[in-house]
Amino acid sequence: MENTSQVPVTVLTGFLGAGKTTLLNRILTEQHGRKYAVIVNEFGEQGIDNDLVVDADEEVFEMNNGCICCTVRGDLIRILSGLMKRADKLDAIIVETTGLADPAPVAQTFFVDQDVADRTKLDAIVTVADAVHLSSQLVDHHEAEEQIAFADVILLNKVELVGDNDIVKVNDRIRKINPFAKIIKTTRCDAPLDEIVGLNAFSLDRVLDIEPDFLESDHDHEHDDDVTSLSFVSDTPLDMDKFQDWFGNLLRTKGQDILRSKGILNFKGEEERYVFQGVHMLMDASPMGPWPKGKDRSSRVVFIGRDLDNMNLKEGFDNCKSA
Amino acid sequence: MNADLETLQESNKTELERRGSIFNIGAPATEAVTIRDQIAVGFGDGTVRFFQSGSDPKTVKAHKGVVLSMTNYEDHVLTGGEDGRFLKISSDGNIDEIFNFGSKWVDCVASHKDTKVCSSGKTVYIWTKNKDKPQTLEHQSTVAGLAFDNKGKRLAVSRYGGVTVWKLNNNKWTASNFTWKGSHGTVTFSPDTKYIVTAMQENQIHGWRINDKADLAMRGYPSKIKSFTWVGDTPYLVTSGSSDAVCWPFDGKEGPMGRKPIVVANGGKELATFVKALNGEKAVFTGFTDGSVLLAEIDESKKPIMIRSSTGSEVSTIAISSDNSQILIGDMKGSILLSSLWADN
Repeated sequence: MENTSQVPVTVLTGFLGAGKTTLLNRILTEQHGRKYAVIVNEFGEQGIDNDLVVDADEEVFEMNNGCICCTVRGDLIRILSGLMKRADKLDAIIVETTGLADPAPVAQTFFVDQDVADRTKLDAIVTVADAVHLSSQLVDHHEAEEQIAFADVILLNKVELVGDNDIVKVNDRIRKINPFAKIIKTTRCDAPLDEIVGLNAFSLDRVLDIEPDFLESDHDHEHDDDVTSLSFVSDTPLDMDKFQDWFGNLLRTKGQDILRSKGILNFKGEEERYVFQGVHMLMDASPMGPWPKGKDRSSRVVFIGRDLDNMNLKEGFDNCKSA
Repeated sequence: MNADLETLQESNKTELERRGSIFNIGAPATEAVTIRDQIAVGFGDGTVRFFQSGSDPKTVKAHKGVVLSMTNYEDHVLTGGEDGRFLKISSDGNIDEIFNFGSKWVDCVASHKDTKVCSSGKTVYIWTKNKDKPQTLEHQSTVAGLAFDNKGKRLAVSRYGGVTVWKLNNNKWTASNFTWKGSHGTVTFSPDTKYIVTAMQENQIHGWRINDKADLAMRGYPSKIKSFTWVGDTPYLVTSGSSDAVCWPFDGKEGPMGRKPIVVANGGKELATFVKALNGEKAVFTGFTDGSVLLAEIDESKKPIMIRSSTGSEVSTIAISSDNSQILIGDMKGSILLSSLWADN
């Protein structure tokens, strides 16, 4: 349900030195006449050119709802509810996270807290990656993998410092982790801003943008804790009860390792497409209008996470096909 | 047609709306406190306005950005703002900056007699009479609520994971921790100071009996509890967050343990967002998501009275003047109703 009074929130992630502050200042100075609030966590490192900068400590809280991986950003709940009492309406809010932050609690805040969900909406998670250092950061820091895995948009920045071959390599590495993020190659974060803010990437209807050519990716990797992705397609309609049983159980038992999930589903006997998107154990799902005429009614699901090979995902998905 | 519509709207007005004054401020009303015969209201545009029956409100431009917190202090109000300032304001517009925290918000304020308290981030700052430098109390996470007991000897500080109750002995504060998993917001002592209660980030309130730290979990709400108030001699803790005002009895040894709450002031499909006791009576004002306000006795057999009709914007504050003669109701759109509670006023 689209609510026009919800203020869009863009989350900026990325390792220290990747170019987050450069991007932030571009957004703030080039979008004339717009009113932004910026929530920063590395205050004082570099100047941010905006009237409304809120200094926050990243406080990750566990929800007391029995869901072990359900963590939220307590400081965001407090600050967003404060900002919503302002007399002037904000055009957008930008949340800059620290370099080593796990993006899951930020994303989960928008699923879990009703006040936040009523008044704001997560627009997109934008990750700035340093083309020079990303490969080594992915080896050394699981946070780097998570920031790539959660992203809707990845700015592969500082490409001018890297040879063409290396750009292809790092691009492939990103694709292996996250098949649906949009990758924009930049020098000093010089991407068109309308590809970064105002995307509505967490809106369920954007799930329909999943390209059908994200087929099963090869997943040879060195470590079991690498973040990878798997996707499946079925032209046979799915059985709704079977899917709900399998998927619900999967998120309950393996949700800690499944960072993000998205899918478009064709259920037997249903005229409408069903779409879902999830962050760990939390997900949002809804019917999304009839299938376009003349196009294949194929179901597509994408998982991004750790240890996906041990979840029998293909078998589970295949078992949902209607007989 | 227009004339008919006007008449219809006029007849839909409540008694209090007909005899009261309505002010459209244009910014959400965030807090309201009573100082003698005036009611001070903080707004989302940074102003504090002093309302008094029979005259226009006096406006004080206090903060840049939202007035986040407010309490009364002698003849003044103390306010905390989004601009990082902790202020003492008099009704004639005098502003005294007690402290400036820069880019950190002043989330909570409290006072007892001549002691002024605020929180910013994880720290509580306490100014006592004639001392320029504040004492500081540190916490593990951001402070989300402050409350003194009625003697000013104990200060409850809510935060993630529970409440720290600080006790003042020989000018030194010592801490006692009350633990319950989850994030705790607004906090209150029961009038007999035997219990502390918090509104949680989850849809529940949590209480502790102070002497043995026994837990009281009060659940079953469809939304977050943003407001509570102590009513009557029992007393009842009346809470928002449901389609009714939910009233938990805190009498006897066990308080609400194992007992059901009384529910009054049903708002139909609307949820209660603000509750305020009518001083000296076993009755409560309950404001709802649509702006309407009901006055109800804590008695399920009695019918509530409509005090304010729907404005389409949730009730964010209610205050009663200290002599019980005036009521002020404010909402998130900045509409203020100031009216006398009794017909002969």
